[in-house]
Amino acid sequence: MKFVRQLGISALALGLGAPFAGSLQRTQQRGLDLDSIARAINEGSDHVSARQLARWIRDRRSGLRVIDVRSPAEFHDYAIPTAENVPIDQLAKAHFAPDQTIVLYSQEGAHAGQAWVILRSLGVTQAVFVPGGLADWREEVLNPRLPANASPAERAQIEDLSHYFGGTPRIGGEQGGDVASAAQIGRGSRRRGC
Amino acid sequence: MRPLRPYAEPHITGVCLGLVLLACFALSGQGLGASGAFASVASGVVGAVSPETAGHSAYFQSYLQDGSPWTAWIVVEIIGVLIGAAASAALAGRTRLTYVGAVRPSGGKLCAGVAGGILMGIGAALARGCTSGLALSGGAMLSVAAWIFMLALFFAGFLAAPLVRRLWP
Amino acid sequence: MNDLLIAGGIGVAFGWALECAGLGHPPKLAGQFYLRDFTVLKVMLSAMLTAMLGVFWGGRLGLLDRGALYVPETYLLPQLVGGLVFGLGFVLSGLCPGTSCVALASGRIEGAATMLGLFAGVLLVGLAFPAIEAFYRSTPHGPLTLQRLTGLPYGVVVALVTVLAVSMLAWIAKWEARR
Repeated sequence: MKFVRQLGISALALGLGAPFAGSLQRTQQRGLDLDSIARAINEGSDHVSARQLARWIRDRRSGLRVIDVRSPAEFHDYAIPTAENVPIDQLAKAHFAPDQTIVLYSQEGAHAGQAWVILRSLGVTQAVFVPGGLADWREEVLNPRLPANASPAERAQIEDLSHYFGGTPRIGGEQGGDVASAAQIGRGSRRRGC
Repeated sequence: MRPLRPYAEPHITGVCLGLVLLACFALSGQGLGASGAFASVASGVVGAVSPETAGHSAYFQSYLQDGSPWTAWIVVEIIGVLIGAAASAALAGRTRLTYVGAVRPSGGKLCAGVAGGILMGIGAALARGCTSGLALSGGAMLSVAAWIFMLALFFAGFLAAPLVRRLWP
Repeated sequence: MNDLLIAGGIGVAFGWALECAGLGHPPKLAGQFYLRDFTVLKVMLSAMLTAMLGVFWGGRLGLLDRGALYVPETYLLPQLVGGLVFGLGFVLSGLCPGTSCVALASGRIEGAATMLGLFAGVLLVGLAFPAIEAFYRSTPHGPLTLQRLTGLPYGVVVALVTVLAVSMLAWIAKWEARR
């Protein structure tokens, strides 16, 4: 019985120590780790295509956070479904958990790339950005041009994705697409186990 | 019909179980489980008997799509559970008594067991986990899902307990 | 292959621990709901506490990558209903999915009966799935954790849960001693 009491006391000690364990946390070094940044850029692990992002949103990838770094007015006008608005001047104040995948986008991509560097300097290494920004989102996801030489399966995939976000694929010529409605619940996110 | 050797101290066993769970997290990235094994085997059976039926149900599909459902991680784990529990019971001399028929359960009790199993199977499938997979493993990760499930489980249990008092004299 | 060896090993240890605690004995489990036997709560709370503290400190000391650990996704309504149905089944059979295997392995036929039922239960859900899929996928909240829900730091939530669980265990011990 005494041993059980000791177990309880040590559990309490470990638990109550938890809020003060900040200093033991693996150091999120501020300042730029230039080597790792250069490596990420070279490897291409700094960005993600608009189409890939669309698949992630549809499959409800766990821990995904889509961040729109444009102004609130632009965000209000149109934004990628599930995105949250964190204007670039607010970025340093935002909190990002280590288990999240952060995807940054802007109108054309430049601001998102710069935001990526800002986050890196804050020690957030799990961020990526969409190089073509919203323009790519429209071109690749909402109103994609179906390649003439694509296999039927590829075409169906592209069409599916476009329809999921409420867009219309373009077949050959120009065809204006209407803007997407908000995305709903994704399908078939796979999980194993009990 | 007392067991030959008494059961271990629950708190200490609990800590050991926690360490097993921790090892499981460290080695496989996910927690323990049990009901998933039943779902995996059920999917395997349906897939073998009638692939068409399995194709219509996204639930079966989800267990069939990566690898054989018969050798899924969780099925192998449950086979391990059977072996471990049998070994522990045999070594502690707790097996024999129940085998000799000294405590043969009544037919009503077996029916209650099957009915309870069906309800738990449905509940675990809806909740995406059971006491080990969701409540214990998820609880340790501070998942909201685990705490909702645990609260609902005990709420229903305490509420229904007086109604089935006859089963547990 | 290596993966499956780990699965088997973990399973053996899991089954061993459950059997040692007596969780393969239905009256012991059902006794929890009549406040006769607190083994279920004691084992569950101590195990959860150990694992939670282990994950927290393992992560803080850099031994464990917490981001890689699986956090169950929250689907509010299905999990609420699932928990209620599961609780009913728990009292009826006096076993849960894991412990039904333990019961069978230690020679109790009740274990086999419950396993049969479990199998039928998941089969039923799987067959009826097209009809209930909408409900199954309703109210999704992703891999929500208590710290994200409350906005409190991880360490504070760990401390709160620890205090809650330890005081609950202490209270149970006191209550049992008084009886």
